[in-house]
Amino acid sequence: MTPLLELHDLTKAFFGVAAVKGVSLHVNAGETLGLIGQNGAGKSTLMNLVGGVVHPDSGRLLLKGNPYHPRTPADAQQSGIAFIHQELNLFTNLTIAENIFISDFPRGGFPGTFNRAKIKQQTRELLNAVGLDIAPETPLDRISPGERQLVEIARALHQDAALIIFDEPTTSLTARETERLFTIMDQLTAQGKGIIYISHILGDVRKLADRIAVMRDGELVALEAADNFPISRMISLMVGRSIEQLYPPRTSAPTNKSLLEVRGVRTAGIVENISFQLKAGEVLGLFGLMGSGRTELARMIFGMDPFDSGSILVEGEPLHKPSPRASIRSKIAFVTENRREEGLLMSIDIANNISLVSLPEFASNLIQMVDQQQMHEAAQETATILQLKSGDIRQQPVKALSGGNQQKVVIAKWLLSRPSIFIMDEPTRGIDVGAKYEIYSIIDQLAANGSGVLIISSELEELTGMCDRILVMSQGEVVGEFDRAAFNRERILSAAFREHNPEQPVSG
Amino acid sequence: MPKRRFNLFQFLLNNSTIVLFITVFVLFGLTSPRLVIEGIGLEFPRFWLPENMLNIIKQAAVFAGIIGVGMTFVLLTAGIDLSVGSNMYLSVVCAGLLMRSSGLEIIPALLVSIVVGTLFGAFNALCIVRLKIIPFMTTLATLVIGRGLGTALTESRQIDFPERMNAFGQTLLLGFIPMPIVVFGLVVLAAWFILTRTPFGRQVYAVGNDIEAAKKAGINTDRTLVLVYIISGFCAGLAGFILASQLGGRVDRSFGETREFDAIAAAVLGGTSLFGGVGNVFGTVIGALLIQMVGTGLQFNLVNLYLQPLVRALIIFLAIFFDSLREANLQKLKRRFIRPVESSGTTVPQPARME
Amino acid sequence: MDQGNLTHPWSTTQRLTIEGCTVSTVNDRLSQLQSLTRRKKSHSASSSTATQMIRKLLLSDYFVLYLTLILFMSAAVFFPTLGTPGNIANQLQNMWPLLAVAIGQTFVLILGGIDLSLGATMGFTSVVGAIVMAQNLDPAFFDKSPLWGTLMRPEGGLLAGSALAVPVGVLVMLIVGTSIGFLNGYAITRFKMAPFMVTLVTSTFFAGFALWLTQSRNISGLPEAFIELGKGDIVSVYLGPKLTPDIARRDILQFITYPFVIAVGLAILAQFLLSKTVFGRQMFSIGTNRVTSDISGLPSQSVIIRVYMFSGFCAAVASILYSARLAIGQPSLGGGNLLLDIIGAAVIGGTSLFGGKGSVRGTFFGVAFFVLLLNILNAMRLDPFVIDAVKGGFILLAALVDVTRTRLMNREQRA
Repeated sequence: MTPLLELHDLTKAFFGVAAVKGVSLHVNAGETLGLIGQNGAGKSTLMNLVGGVVHPDSGRLLLKGNPYHPRTPADAQQSGIAFIHQELNLFTNLTIAENIFISDFPRGGFPGTFNRAKIKQQTRELLNAVGLDIAPETPLDRISPGERQLVEIARALHQDAALIIFDEPTTSLTARETERLFTIMDQLTAQGKGIIYISHILGDVRKLADRIAVMRDGELVALEAADNFPISRMISLMVGRSIEQLYPPRTSAPTNKSLLEVRGVRTAGIVENISFQLKAGEVLGLFGLMGSGRTELARMIFGMDPFDSGSILVEGEPLHKPSPRASIRSKIAFVTENRREEGLLMSIDIANNISLVSLPEFASNLIQMVDQQQMHEAAQETATILQLKSGDIRQQPVKALSGGNQQKVVIAKWLLSRPSIFIMDEPTRGIDVGAKYEIYSIIDQLAANGSGVLIISSELEELTGMCDRILVMSQGEVVGEFDRAAFNRERILSAAFREHNPEQPVSG
Repeated sequence: MPKRRFNLFQFLLNNSTIVLFITVFVLFGLTSPRLVIEGIGLEFPRFWLPENMLNIIKQAAVFAGIIGVGMTFVLLTAGIDLSVGSNMYLSVVCAGLLMRSSGLEIIPALLVSIVVGTLFGAFNALCIVRLKIIPFMTTLATLVIGRGLGTALTESRQIDFPERMNAFGQTLLLGFIPMPIVVFGLVVLAAWFILTRTPFGRQVYAVGNDIEAAKKAGINTDRTLVLVYIISGFCAGLAGFILASQLGGRVDRSFGETREFDAIAAAVLGGTSLFGGVGNVFGTVIGALLIQMVGTGLQFNLVNLYLQPLVRALIIFLAIFFDSLREANLQKLKRRFIRPVESSGTTVPQPARME
Repeated sequence: MDQGNLTHPWSTTQRLTIEGCTVSTVNDRLSQLQSLTRRKKSHSASSSTATQMIRKLLLSDYFVLYLTLILFMSAAVFFPTLGTPGNIANQLQNMWPLLAVAIGQTFVLILGGIDLSLGATMGFTSVVGAIVMAQNLDPAFFDKSPLWGTLMRPEGGLLAGSALAVPVGVLVMLIVGTSIGFLNGYAITRFKMAPFMVTLVTSTFFAGFALWLTQSRNISGLPEAFIELGKGDIVSVYLGPKLTPDIARRDILQFITYPFVIAVGLAILAQFLLSKTVFGRQMFSIGTNRVTSDISGLPSQSVIIRVYMFSGFCAAVASILYSARLAIGQPSLGGGNLLLDIIGAAVIGGTSLFGGKGSVRGTFFGVAFFVLLLNILNAMRLDPFVIDAVKGGFILLAALVDVTRTRLMNREQRA
């Protein structure tokens, strides 16, 4: 049987630096191929070659046995290759039906128009196929991220895609939506579609894929059947060496001093009666599925969003008029989940990013003139401590750094303001394995030095690996609390999945 | 919190432009000079007389309405066209010079004006799409270029159109509807039809929502952008000619100056966002009518000529102020609800499961 | 206070422990990084030197200055009058007020906003200043003004004839300009209205207000001391007009005028604010990413308001220089194509309309380029309206060059 898509010895270099080196592989119809690798390993470039976004320097592509040279994404689309990106490619101001037909509306009766009845009918059929029971004329901004993902798949089906490439599709989905997506993907392969599935969640890849391709430094380092491919080996292939430990050993234990206390915080429709304490030297995990209210709670604690009642105390002192500025004055730092849009100034140099929060401290009082020398030295010192890998911090813009190093810049920015409380929302999202370890080490060190760290994460592994205590949120409430000694994956997960229940929280 | 008051506030805010429209309408009616109807002894505000209403619609059409419709297309793609006022001038100058020198008839002259306007729009599109100069800079520059060319062509003198231009301007359809209103109506209907019923129209919204996504989805975004600037140019050429016919066929150097701002204001008053993707032509019609009604109303009340721009600025300020309140309110409502809201008395909006 | 402690108390206690847990990937990646940089160097060395020269020139901070000089020298060949001291002095006089107001726009653009009201602010402050200072007012012109009989009388403005007239008038102008900026900034931050719409409205309002106060007339009869601000060359004022009977001092040192001192002083102040102070850095940060800035605790609202106030202040300074030079209070001072000149000069100087990018130096060069361009077009004896058209064309060209520059720069950064 001819494979659906074949890559033969593909090579692509940018400005003399090879991003993809001699990669050959194929995808069969009815098969799911997992594609894994660290950030910068060449996965995206490889997929961009397939999708016509960039063009190969050498090598060739075959689609169903025929030469295939996509010049633009539209070419790839017409050849039957669909991309489902992490950021959805949909229009929130249009209806579901319009989104699906936006580039190829069927002609209507009146010249120049499109056939509204037809797109409605066809959309209904497509939505049925992906298991979505919503009216075709529903505006897109009325449906959830998971449902939007299904709409995007419906669009791929409409374009009669033979091969669908999923690039980290589950990052913004709830657990249920993820399950539904996986079911649909199984159905697609059963219908003879080919799938390339890219993800950092190796467990998912192993579960879904028939074969798994591992890339490192632009090369294909392994391509094996998923059944016999342990995750530990995937990781060692990705990093190029074996990592015995994913998490550094914790070097300290929490003290009894309460740094941060959240007392009965409530906002109608969002969070209900949230109370907990964060001790000095403690790493506290906040686990919950997407949409459980974790991020919303973090934003309220940091003063970005208002809350209806309750109070937040720092070292016993209540915060009045919460705002980011007030929180920073109370020595709270907030590493947000979205570092590109909320944590960094991407086009500005590293030094100025690091000094963003504490800049006034480097200025004389009268005319607020910045002592550049002192500022750079302090920024450099922090960068060195965090082992930031960069060029000249006064020249290099943050956007030229890798994800892990960007996250270090965010942490460095807060470190300079000498906080004692760290709130970190998904601190290792989109960061590769090696850099994750470094971030964990930093977190451990912060705690060892008497800071309190609140980590919010949807990766339970990372919380059980790093935290002294884990709180579980579900539907805007804290529904469980587990001490390190009592960490139990199943019990934590079952607490997180629990439907809203006003009884006492489970505890471990 | 009483539920009903909350809702009323919501309602007023969501329809602030219409509320403002009605308020202005009523206020000017109450304060305008009265017409005493003989026999019954009833008084009727002159401002509310049908001929005055027709007059307002007519002026709204020529001053801000038609170009406002073109501007709506451009704003929907998150662009801007500052050159429409100059475009109106240059187009009508070309038509006027031809009418005078070669005795062109009305309809061919109208076509000349439209063609020049459309080419002007095409030039904007060329700079924006091919040369990738941002719309603000492009159209600010063509604003100056257009007026410079027009003034150079006329040697900075006033153009007097032949008498038939004036007659054309006074044409009534069905015996009572002034010609500009009919043209405006056709333009609005066509624009509504294009925006809602054709693939191109829906793609305009898509491009304004997220141009990168539109490219990836296979939309020819270059073509979409070129077309919206051409449409804006078309509207400017058309509006320029009609406006000249309303001004008795006299076109001087300041013809059309700052019209672009009225067009933008009309669209924004009508709910079109400067950031693209949101808006519709009927809103723009309301916006243009509101602006014109304020102008006419002030004249009716014999307000000092110098005060009129001040009052107009205040009204526009009020409208965008309400718009900002509405936006803030919308943001609040868009907060993602995770759990049911319990018995707090406030209305529970449909849980918006926003990203 | 102990400086080391101020900069980094955290580090002294923690450095050792963190460095203790080194991760082995560090070395791997460092070597990888080094091999990348090495390859990049060999690559760039291979491209031809000529293209590199052009690229370097295009990317230089002084690109617009070079462009201006080249344009000047090549035009001077055809129009010898261009290079005479008299003409240069004259052109510089044209440059200073434009520079003052363009600096204000540059600040607002760096912040990611736009100020369409600068022209109207200039006209309005010009009128206000004249109302304070004017020495006689013709009833035939002004008796319909709302201020007639109170602030405006036949014998002149509020402080007509008083010794305080000029200092108070100038101060009032500055305060009024700054206040308009405050209004803009307040509406933009407090009600989250779009800067474009807010400043468009204030522009309409204050332009209309100025016309109403003056009934569209220019106010003449400004005090001599004020008019001197627009032209007086400082050297002749303070050292006597002539050096020797033969060589007029004015011919040598005529560049050093009040407008020169005021505008250049403003530029230096602005450059200082922008590059050396917390305020300046925070402006860039807010212009680059407002959300990140807010979360990082920057006082965004106050910074934005202050920037618009500064912008209004700059407009007032420009208004003083123009009004003094024209010797009138002119309601339509900032009308016409001034907006294009202001934004054009800033953009030619490399300021981005998307925020986060720009410099006073660039704007200075942009203004110089602009003024020179106008001078050349005038020297060509073109019809003023053709000049407008050509000017617009040049701005398009300049914007095009900027697009190319930005693209080159991004490519450079990526590689």
